[in-house]
Amino acid sequence: MEIKEQLAKIVAEAKSAAEGIKTPAELGDLKAAFLGKKSEFNTMMQQMKDLTPEERPAFGGIINAAKSEVTAFFDSAKERLDKEAVDAKLKQETIDISLPGRQMYVGAKHLISQVIEEIEDLFVGMGYTVEEGPEIESDKYNFEMLNFPKMHPARDMQDSFYISEDNLLRTHTSPVQIRTMLKAGGNKPIKVICPGKTYRKDDDDMTHSHQFAQIEALVVDENTSLADLKGTLLVLARKMFGEEREIRLRPSFFPFTEPSVEVDVSCHKCGGAGCSMCKGTGWIEILGAGMVNNNVLEACGYDSSRYQGFAFGMGVERVAILKYGIDDIRAFYTNDLRFNRQFR
Amino acid sequence: MLLSMNWLKDYINIDIDKDELVRKLNLMSAEVEGLEKMVEATNLAIGFVETCVMHPDSDHLHVCVVDTGNEKLDIICGAPNVEAGQKVIVALPGANLPGGLKIKKAKIRGIESNGMICSLSELGIDHKYHQEDGIHVLSSDAPLGGDPLAWLSLDDYILNLDLTPNRADLLSHLGVAYELGAVLNESVNVSNPDPEEDQEKNPVCVFTETSDCESYYARVIKDVKVGLSPRWMQSRLIACGIRPINNVVDITNYVMLEYGQPLHAFDYDKLVSGQILVRNAKEGELIVTLDGKKRELDPADVVITDGNVPIALAGVMGGLETEIDDNTTTILLESATFSPYAVRKTSKRLALQSESSNRFERGLDPARTRLAANRAAELFREYCGGRILRGINYFDVNDAGDTVILTTMAKIESVTGKRYTEKELEDVFERLNFRAKITDDDITVYAPSRRQDIKTYQDVIEEIVRINGYNNIPMTLPKTITTGTLTDIQKQRRMLRSFMLDLGFDEVTTYTLTNEHNARMFDDSNKKVIKILNPISEERASLRHSLLPSLISVLKYNKDHKQDEACLFEIGKGYFDEGEEEFLSGIMNGSYRMSKWQHDQANIDFYLAKGIIIAILKKLGLEDIDFQIPDKKLPGFHPGVVANVTSKGKKIGVLGRFHPELEHSEEIGETYAFELNLGRIFGCGNKNIVMKPLSKYPSVSRDLAVIVDKNLPAGDLVETIRKMNMKSVRIVEIFDRYEGEKLGQDKKSIALSLVFQDDGKTLSTTDVDNFVNKIVGELAKKCQATLRE
Repeated sequence: MEIKEQLAKIVAEAKSAAEGIKTPAELGDLKAAFLGKKSEFNTMMQQMKDLTPEERPAFGGIINAAKSEVTAFFDSAKERLDKEAVDAKLKQETIDISLPGRQMYVGAKHLISQVIEEIEDLFVGMGYTVEEGPEIESDKYNFEMLNFPKMHPARDMQDSFYISEDNLLRTHTSPVQIRTMLKAGGNKPIKVICPGKTYRKDDDDMTHSHQFAQIEALVVDENTSLADLKGTLLVLARKMFGEEREIRLRPSFFPFTEPSVEVDVSCHKCGGAGCSMCKGTGWIEILGAGMVNNNVLEACGYDSSRYQGFAFGMGVERVAILKYGIDDIRAFYTNDLRFNRQFR
Repeated sequence: MLLSMNWLKDYINIDIDKDELVRKLNLMSAEVEGLEKMVEATNLAIGFVETCVMHPDSDHLHVCVVDTGNEKLDIICGAPNVEAGQKVIVALPGANLPGGLKIKKAKIRGIESNGMICSLSELGIDHKYHQEDGIHVLSSDAPLGGDPLAWLSLDDYILNLDLTPNRADLLSHLGVAYELGAVLNESVNVSNPDPEEDQEKNPVCVFTETSDCESYYARVIKDVKVGLSPRWMQSRLIACGIRPINNVVDITNYVMLEYGQPLHAFDYDKLVSGQILVRNAKEGELIVTLDGKKRELDPADVVITDGNVPIALAGVMGGLETEIDDNTTTILLESATFSPYAVRKTSKRLALQSESSNRFERGLDPARTRLAANRAAELFREYCGGRILRGINYFDVNDAGDTVILTTMAKIESVTGKRYTEKELEDVFERLNFRAKITDDDITVYAPSRRQDIKTYQDVIEEIVRINGYNNIPMTLPKTITTGTLTDIQKQRRMLRSFMLDLGFDEVTTYTLTNEHNARMFDDSNKKVIKILNPISEERASLRHSLLPSLISVLKYNKDHKQDEACLFEIGKGYFDEGEEEFLSGIMNGSYRMSKWQHDQANIDFYLAKGIIIAILKKLGLEDIDFQIPDKKLPGFHPGVVANVTSKGKKIGVLGRFHPELEHSEEIGETYAFELNLGRIFGCGNKNIVMKPLSKYPSVSRDLAVIVDKNLPAGDLVETIRKMNMKSVRIVEIFDRYEGEKLGQDKKSIALSLVFQDDGKTLSTTDVDNFVNKIVGELAKKCQATLRE
């Protein structure tokens, strides 16, 4: 039948035309040409009136089928054009992501604050509270109640800045322990850490600073033991210097503790084999500790036949010096921003 | 404390590797600072100088032929005191001497030298100990070819212990021997002195009038010949850091190092009377001490007198008047104990610290006072040729008995966390040479008088733990159940620090001590500066009132090191007679959040700083924040660019630009700073927040520009509207400010953004117009504002 061939030809022509469309204008023109009033489809439909009513549905069906085939070609052409347009726009909007970001400068927390907060968090997690106290202290709280009698040679261990005969800049944060025990009234268990600034009359050099920060801990209860101290120190050493660390205790002397110990941690640089950091010993001294001297408990209203306690104290700068390989304690107070900003 | 290992070996067998000994002492006893050879030299021999002639090409070198037993060596020697016939110390070729010196065959001005004849200094013995200038000449009985170090008793090791103040017992070789006995589990062999006395009776009477003298033993030794002490004694003194002087003085020092008991020898013939009276000094009394200095005494000082005038400062230093000299023949020997506090007080007051005062301050073993006197007497007889007069005259109120301490197995377990067996405890006490009785749970320990530091069961526990080993203590955690938390203030301080960092400020920590000028620099209240009585320097003599001067120093330091932009803060204290106040202090210089990228940075000005303060205070929950012109001048700040920060009408801080003079003198350029008093901020935030329902009706915005007098604070416009208390006015904000010729020279335009909303209805245009008119009317009345067309 001639009409079928004719339609097939139109469909084929439309397909190739649609595929070749480059612009929306072309699409409009071709769409009008193939499907508009002047299209061949329209002309063919005019022939319907010459057919019998019986022939009309079949004839119309053939044409409409061809027509929807052609419409589909132009629809997909439109889709293709739309996509091309979007792609072109995206391409045009593409930026150089290697250019710098707008700076949201965030400051660096001072290393002393970092170490204090880290240790505070560790102990708060273990049920301790954080106690603070004044930096100008009485001789009574800083020394006497801590079992440093006046004129005792142990006072030579801590050269002090006095502001009057009875008041001085605290040489350690231990007076906060005295204040805490007095406040507790002699009958409550205590688990505190005490961070803060401390002062000793030293000339500033690479290893000495007249001002430094300390953190001390105090635990008092009916059954607090040396073993509890040792276990707590292991937790601390591993938190600060790595999970593989071990500790060892050596005899020492502090008037406010008995027994008193120095605590070494296995060297985090060489793992204990011996290196320049640990002077070949495999161990590094990090803090002093001991069981609270009964004289101190009694002075603070605790019955030493019932209560016992442990205490330890460490220099914050010393911890940071060891952890970060800092070679001069004065760097903490110089605040060279090139130094401070290395530790975030 | 320096100790001679050879000396310690007189009492105890030490058969252990050097490093192991150090490790054990560190873990069980005291910190070892060093354990080193006294003389680090090898390949030495005793030689005999056969001939000694001048070098043909030198005016000071000698050519010697030295017999070393095995061979005869040609050795060139430059020492002026070398002579034929001397026994000398020869460093043979291949010898290593202290300081890295290596001895080799060498030609010196054409003549071969096969070694070196040594001085004591060349062996590493400091000149102050021997004061010899040339080579050391050995006595003629020195064995040819033998080891000169052994001959001179210099073949020793020196143990250096870093002692804590409680271990007074370790200030003697006997004490350290007992300690080593415990550490090494070895027995200690000590024999008590037994001086051979003369028939002649000791004539000295001893009296005391002060309770600060606890015991005083006096011996008299006659017919003494003052001279050099034996070589071995000199070497042991040198090993312990004490300079040999003469046999009498050396013996007193030797016995002090042996027993820990300081002794003093008087020239008996120089005493006016034959008696000793110990008493407190009289006000204004004088004594010339051995160092030649005249000392004015205080009634707190204890003096030894001959019944009349002071002849020694008890425990601190002897008097020059009764000093031993070359002609001394009769010695009065003192062995005594004095109150540690009295000795310390005198030694501190006169700044006179000595080996003797150091020991008295820490407390002596009362059982050794008499022993030391007898030991010294024995040595005087042997090495000074003296006769010991019969009897030791003394005064003694000390108790030299054991200290009895009771404790229980249960207590030891409770304190240490370890259950010790009876056997373990017995072992510890045996090693320590402590008598002890253990019956069931009860333990009785008898601490000997040499261990004055052992007084309580806690002291006993320390002994048990260290000798048994700290490594045997288990590790547990406290059983005390508590809730750990930061206080509200601690949390706020943490939040504040973190917020400041997020705002782009770097945190600094600076010194509290400063000079007086800086301490009071920013203080408008003229409060007293707290000063240190004994400062290191004037630069660190005053406690600061403000942190800002320290921040300026940090800024300046960083600008000097090419760090041009800095926003810094510190949280720290100011110190006043009334107490310590905590501040947040900040300083802003350069550009904010610096970045070169498309000049993407904000210039720092007053309004940026103000915005930051508001953000900080809002973060901390403060309400009703205001900035007010200070009613008095704030030192250090630009008088026209400064504000008091207030909350609910109370001053909580200050904000402003530094005074241009300050910026100029510190060479920091335009800088803004603030200081907030955290004591007035922490805990003052609104804690009772109750939800307000949201309006269902839309809000309407209107902008308004008014012309006002140039000097009118723009804030007055906002304040005026706020005071109208119109419930539909929800937001009033200033968004622009303009000055221009069109407005007139003394006028400015302020643009306000207003937001209206009602909780009960939608506002109509007419409603809003009415509000705006009312506001314009009020602004015209209160602020003489006119609407800008």
